[in-house]
Amino acid sequence: MKKAAFILILCIGLLLAWAAKDFPSWGDPQSPASSSPVASHFIANTGVDTEVPNMVTAVLADYRGFDTMFETVVVFIAGLAVFSILRGGPKNRTRDREFVVDFEPDLIVTNTVRLIVPVIQIFALYVLAHGHVSPGGGFQGGVAMGASFILIALSWDLKTALARFPIERCFTVAALGIVIYAGIGLLSLFLGGEFLDYAHLAKIFPVSPEMARYHAMLGVEIGVGFTVTAIMFALYASLSTDGRMRDGL
Amino acid sequence: MSDSIVWIVLFPLFGAVACSLGGAMSKKICYPVSVLSMLATVWVSVDTLFQAIESPVHEVSYILGGWSLDLFPRGVGIEFRADLLGALIALVVTGVGLIVALYSKVPVQRETPGKEPMYYGLFLLQISGLAGIALTGDAFNLYVLIEVAALTGYGLIALGTNRAAAATFNYIILGTIGASFYLLGVGYLYLKTGTLNMVGIREVIEAHGLFDSPAMQVAFVLVLLGILIKMAFFPFHAWLPNAYCHAPTTTSCLLAPLVTKVMIYVMIRMVLTVFGVEFSFESTWWTEFLPWLVVVAIVCAAVMALAQREIKRMLAYLIVAEVGYMVGGVWIYNYYGLIGSVFHIISDACMTLCLFLGAGIILEKCKTTHFNGLRGLFAKMPLTMIGFFIGGFSIIGLPPTCGFFSKWYLITGGMVSERWEYMITLMFSTIVMVVLFFRLIERIHLAVDESGNNLGKGHGDLGLTKQQTRFDEAPLSMLIPLLLAASVVLLVGVYNQEVVNQIEVFLQPFNLPTGVKYE
Repeated sequence: MKKAAFILILCIGLLLAWAAKDFPSWGDPQSPASSSPVASHFIANTGVDTEVPNMVTAVLADYRGFDTMFETVVVFIAGLAVFSILRGGPKNRTRDREFVVDFEPDLIVTNTVRLIVPVIQIFALYVLAHGHVSPGGGFQGGVAMGASFILIALSWDLKTALARFPIERCFTVAALGIVIYAGIGLLSLFLGGEFLDYAHLAKIFPVSPEMARYHAMLGVEIGVGFTVTAIMFALYASLSTDGRMRDGL
Repeated sequence: MSDSIVWIVLFPLFGAVACSLGGAMSKKICYPVSVLSMLATVWVSVDTLFQAIESPVHEVSYILGGWSLDLFPRGVGIEFRADLLGALIALVVTGVGLIVALYSKVPVQRETPGKEPMYYGLFLLQISGLAGIALTGDAFNLYVLIEVAALTGYGLIALGTNRAAAATFNYIILGTIGASFYLLGVGYLYLKTGTLNMVGIREVIEAHGLFDSPAMQVAFVLVLLGILIKMAFFPFHAWLPNAYCHAPTTTSCLLAPLVTKVMIYVMIRMVLTVFGVEFSFESTWWTEFLPWLVVVAIVCAAVMALAQREIKRMLAYLIVAEVGYMVGGVWIYNYYGLIGSVFHIISDACMTLCLFLGAGIILEKCKTTHFNGLRGLFAKMPLTMIGFFIGGFSIIGLPPTCGFFSKWYLITGGMVSERWEYMITLMFSTIVMVVLFFRLIERIHLAVDESGNNLGKGHGDLGLTKQQTRFDEAPLSMLIPLLLAASVVLLVGVYNQEVVNQIEVFLQPFNLPTGVKYE
């Protein structure tokens, strides 16, 4: 069986190598992916269409915003699935986990974390808010924000962290993030455009259509940030306690 | 409503969000919210289908974000395209979703108590993902939606019995491998064509003559391999039986009719719309041998179905065999075969739904779906069994059920393209299905056990007490969806010409060989 798997992998590897000879050379400006009108359109028109300096964000949150909306939904689904599977602890557990968490939060650790957490959170907000100017955005900012809560849980205990961010609220916040994202899309639909056509938001906000896209991108990034933050922490809380929401690491 | 196409995805999405937000306050709202959002979804998908039928080009195109399509190749922004095929599949997905949502009341309360908000959230997102797959016109967006559908599927299955976790783990591994293959293939496509729009990719292939390009060939192999794993085509089917067996009732009712069928739709979409007929059939020599793989697949799956002693597991293997039918219908490269494949997606979704709804009721009332627990069921639940057997007869292919007509087209396709091996396999598998279902009927009506011992006293005595054969029908919230599904099986059969007409309108521009050599 192992040999068969090896031969199979070898065959696929050879197939991929055979295809590689047909690839355009590295960094070739004439390659279809770089020279196609689609890519050129993104490069030439991002600034004109959206006034956003960061093309990656413009492609992510505007040109292909629908993908990103569903990526956010994927994050939400992951949290929902893990939480609902583990919730209430394992079924038919023969042996409950024996160790009792019996330790005092360490003075040095907690005090350091006390200092670091606000910095992490401010940086997370910065990454989120500057996503359309510099590298960053909702996913990155959300992860950093979620990590700050995980850090609290690690250095004190999960109870302390859950007191600040209860697990039910996690899912409310996560769902809210999707409501923000899809809601901005829906608003532009109701204002006469297509779904996620942010330019139409200019009809109710005192900005130009381009700036409407610019600001709507920030809006959807905030939605993404909400969902990712909440799900990061909910995943940690569910997985570290087998879904029982007590003890744990 | 000009944007009803995007509402097909949005109604379930917002329904799911409403379930998880509102469910925190009251768990009772989840069921009505999901039924209502499914009703709205079905309404907009019917609307979209009629828009597609009435439009002069027979498709509805919707650009998310309002970007223009003027470029060549198109691909700025994501396009939702409902041609007749996509709109039909979207209607099947949402229709099945509505029926299962209606059905879900009792089983969800029993199997996942206290988790209704999460369950219905995942349930609705699953439908959103599957309907999106049917409608999207963008190869990468398709991947994202496949992920949405797959992840919700893992969650929904893992909520089942204790062994569901292990089954889900298998499914996750294989599903992820399949999705990765697909994603890699899409990467190659973008590398060679510079666009992700499905029609755009085909335009570039045809304009630049990329038919013999090795990278494109490998992209085709990777995409096809990924989809075949996802649809549980025979050597890759290992995840399916366990996953569908141990899943909660509602989950198996939703996933079994839809997931594999939607992946076959994706294959047809890739073959016809993305790579194009010329690329898929004429410049790849090896696709000619795929029907032989199909033969192996159908025979093995049918034999394995024959070996099962449990209804749900038997049905799971039937699905694997049916996947073989549809894959074969595509690769015999024939007009009638493709009509049969597309029509079989629709009819197989209806009849599998029927069977799984019936099996769910049997599980609910008898606590088992093992063959030994079936004796006297017809006296106990006549309506349920009638619904169940309408589904069964459709799988066999008895007129006037829809299964007869789709199989008719598949066999015609096999004949006119002279793929006798495929045709004979279909006949063989039909005989196996007859054995399968008449064995079930025998188990229900005769007092004979596994080894042929008579358990009754003769003269129609089943060897059961009066108590056991008393009329005890399923709750109406389960029975009505089953009968609804059974009547859909019959209606699609009776009005098969209406459906086939639309499929023919869709297939006409592709100039597939009809294989008729009269001169």
